[in-house]
Amino acid sequence: MQKLRPVLIVFVILVALFIIGWTTMGQKPFIRTTLSGLTLSALFFMVAAGLTLIFGLMDVLNFAHGAVFMIGAYAGWQFFTNPTFIFGLLPLIFAILTGLSIASPLRPRLQRLSIPEKVYNPLRFLLYIISAVLVVISLLGYDIISLAETAMVATMTASDPLMEASPQEALTGFWIRPLLLLVAGTVLSITSQLPRTPNTDDEGKTTWKGWLLSAALLLVTIVSSLTRESGAIAVLEMDANLRFVFSLLTGFLVGGGIGAAIEITLIRPLYVRPQFLVLLTLGLAFVLQEVTQVLWDPLAYQMSRPPLFSQPGKAENILTWFGQWNVTIDIFGVTFPSYRLFIVVLGVVMLIAMAIVMSKTRLGMIIRAGVQDREMVEALGINVRTVFTLVFALGVGLAALGGIGAAPFIPVEPTMGTRYQLQAFITVVLGGMGSYGGAAIGALLLGFARAFGDYLALRFSLSPAISEASTVIIMAIVLLVRPAGLFGRKE
Amino acid sequence: MTDILNVKDIHTYIGQFHILEGVSLSVREGSITVLLGRNGAGKTTTLKSILGLITPRTGSVVFKGEGIRGRRAFEIAALGIGYVPEHRAIFRDLSVMENLKIAERKKGDFDRRADMIFDLFPDLKRLSRLPGNHLSGGQQQMLAVARALVPENQLLLIDEPSQGLAPLLIEQMMEAIHRLRSSTTVLLVEQNFIMASQLGEEYYIIDDGKIVNQGQMSDLARDQELIQRYLGASISVTERAAGSEGR
Repeated sequence: MQKLRPVLIVFVILVALFIIGWTTMGQKPFIRTTLSGLTLSALFFMVAAGLTLIFGLMDVLNFAHGAVFMIGAYAGWQFFTNPTFIFGLLPLIFAILTGLSIASPLRPRLQRLSIPEKVYNPLRFLLYIISAVLVVISLLGYDIISLAETAMVATMTASDPLMEASPQEALTGFWIRPLLLLVAGTVLSITSQLPRTPNTDDEGKTTWKGWLLSAALLLVTIVSSLTRESGAIAVLEMDANLRFVFSLLTGFLVGGGIGAAIEITLIRPLYVRPQFLVLLTLGLAFVLQEVTQVLWDPLAYQMSRPPLFSQPGKAENILTWFGQWNVTIDIFGVTFPSYRLFIVVLGVVMLIAMAIVMSKTRLGMIIRAGVQDREMVEALGINVRTVFTLVFALGVGLAALGGIGAAPFIPVEPTMGTRYQLQAFITVVLGGMGSYGGAAIGALLLGFARAFGDYLALRFSLSPAISEASTVIIMAIVLLVRPAGLFGRKE
Repeated sequence: MTDILNVKDIHTYIGQFHILEGVSLSVREGSITVLLGRNGAGKTTTLKSILGLITPRTGSVVFKGEGIRGRRAFEIAALGIGYVPEHRAIFRDLSVMENLKIAERKKGDFDRRADMIFDLFPDLKRLSRLPGNHLSGGQQQMLAVARALVPENQLLLIDEPSQGLAPLLIEQMMEAIHRLRSSTTVLLVEQNFIMASQLGEEYYIIDDGKIVNQGQMSDLARDQELIQRYLGASISVTERAAGSEGR
C-alpha cells in the first residue's frame, strides 16, 4: 500500500486536471493537448528509462545520455536514408573488436609471463604507442567525411534512394585497413593484460571456447568487408517499412555498442572516483556533438517517415488507418499525425518490455539485487562487471532507440538531445532515482505539464517559457514534499 | 582426509591499512573449522580474502588444489564456495524465492535442492513469496544460509550466523549447520563460544591480523586462560546468553 500511495496521488491529480481541462478548454483543444502530452511523455520516458536504470545500479549520472539519443537518431537516419557510411565503417569496427577479443582466451598464459621490472613500464608504453600508430596508419586516406555525406545528399535531393547508392573504396586498397586494425587491437589488448609480477599461482587454462568469440568476430569482419557495397544496396532495395524497423534496431544497437565501449574504456576505471564521472560524461556529450558536426555539418535534417505513416489523406479513425496508413488520423474530431501515435505506442512497448525484463528475467533479478548489494551479487558467482556493462549498454541503447523513434518528426541535429536530457533528468528526479516505474509516472506528469503549459501560454498569450518552467516548478514542489522523489527510497 | 582449502601467509590491505599480516590456515574436507577472534581481529577480512572480495597482496590461497589468489570473486565463488556474510546481506526487494533463485549457477539448481533446503528451514517455504525486507532477523539469517546452499558448493564461508539472534534461533541455526556437515565443508567465523565449541572440530584464533593459536576444539574448551586472553569479553556475553537458556 505504501508503494501505491504516490501512484494514487498522481492519478488523482491527473484526473482532476483532466476534468478541469475538459470543462474549461472545450473538447477539441483538450484532446489535442492531451495527445501531444502523451507524445512528449513517451519521448521523455524513452530517455529517462535508461538514465534511471543506469543510476539505480551503478550510481552513474550519465550526462552523455542526450548525446546518445542524438547519435541514435543519426544512426537510424543514416541507415534509413543511405547506409553507405555505416557499411563503410562496420569492417573497421569489427576488425578492432576481433583484435581486442584475442587477449581474453590468452589471459592465463599472459599472466605467467615474467617481465623484468625495469622493462615493464617502457615496454607497455611502447606497445600502446605502436597500437595507436597502427590505428592512425590504418585510417590514413580513408575518406570518412564523404562517406558521411552520402545520407546528407540523399536527404536533400533523392526521390529514389537507389540513385544515391555510392561507391565504397575498392577492396584492393581497403583490405589493409581492417588487417592493421586487427593487429592494433591485438597489441592493445595483450598490453593491457601484461602482469607486473608473474602470477604463477593462477592455473587457469586456455580453452577452445574462449577462441569462439574471436573466431566469430573475425568471420563477421571478413563478411562485412566483402559486403560494403552490396549490403548498402540490399538495404536500400528493402521494403521501406522493413527498412524503418531495421533503422530502429540499428539505432538501438549503435547506442548499445557505444554504451558498452564507453563503460569498458572510460567509466570502469573511474568507479572509484565517482566525482570525475560527471565531468567525464559531460565532456563526452560535447565530444559526441562535435563529432557529428564534423561529419554532417551543423545542420538540421528531416528524416522522411516510412510509408506506413505517410500515405496522403486522413484516416477517419484508428481502425480505418490500418490498411490505409494515412499520415494523419481523426481522433474524436482532432486531426493528429499518425506517427506521433506510433511514438506513444513505442514508449508503452518500451515500458512493458522493461517491466517484464526487470520482474521476470534473471538479468532483471540481478539488476534489482545489484542495486542493493553489489558485493553480495559478486559473491554468488555472478560477474557484476559484465552486468554493469550490459546495463549501461542497455540504458544507453534505449535512449538511442528513443532518438531514432523521434527522428521522423523532430529535426535531426547535433543539439537535439540536450533538451530531452534536461527533461529526462527532471523526470528521473521526480520519479525517484533508480525507479523506472517512477520514471514512467514522472514522464507522464512532465509531458502533460509541457503540453498544457504550451496551450495555456498560447491561449493567454503568455511567454512560452512558462511551460518550460512548469516542469521545474513541479519538480521543486514534489521534492519539497518527498525529498527522494515520488518512488525514491529514503536513504 | 585432504585439505579442501589451504591459505598460506596472506597479507591483505584495505586502503593503507595492513589488516592481515600473514594468515595461514587449512580446512579439512568434510569438517567444520572455526575461526575465532575479537572484533576487528581480521576474521571477516580473512573470509573476504579467500573469496577474492578483497585480493590479498601476497601469499597463496589454494582451493581444491588450484591456486586462486588474484582471481575475481565471482570466478572463485563459481568454483564452489558459498558465502554467508555478516549482517546477512539479503536482497530486500527480492522475494524469498528470488533470493534463493538468484544463487543458481546452473539452471535447476534450486529445484534440485529445494527439498533439502526447506527441510532444514521449514519457515522459508511458508514465507517464500514475501519480500526479503519483511523477514525478521532470524528468518533473514536462515535465508542467507539457505541461499548459500542453492548451488553445489563444496565449501561454505559463514560469518557470525548467531549475531543478533535470540537464543532459541541460535539453537536452530546450530542444528542446521551441524546437519550441513554431512554434505559440505564449513569455515565458520563465530564470536559465540558456545556455538563455536559445539560445532567446530578444529579452531584457529586470529588476533591483530595474525593466527595466534590453533588446534582441536576439544583442547581449547579446557584452556580457560587462552580463551580469556584472546576472546575475552565476547565470551562472557555469550555465556550469559547461553546460561539463560539453562545450559
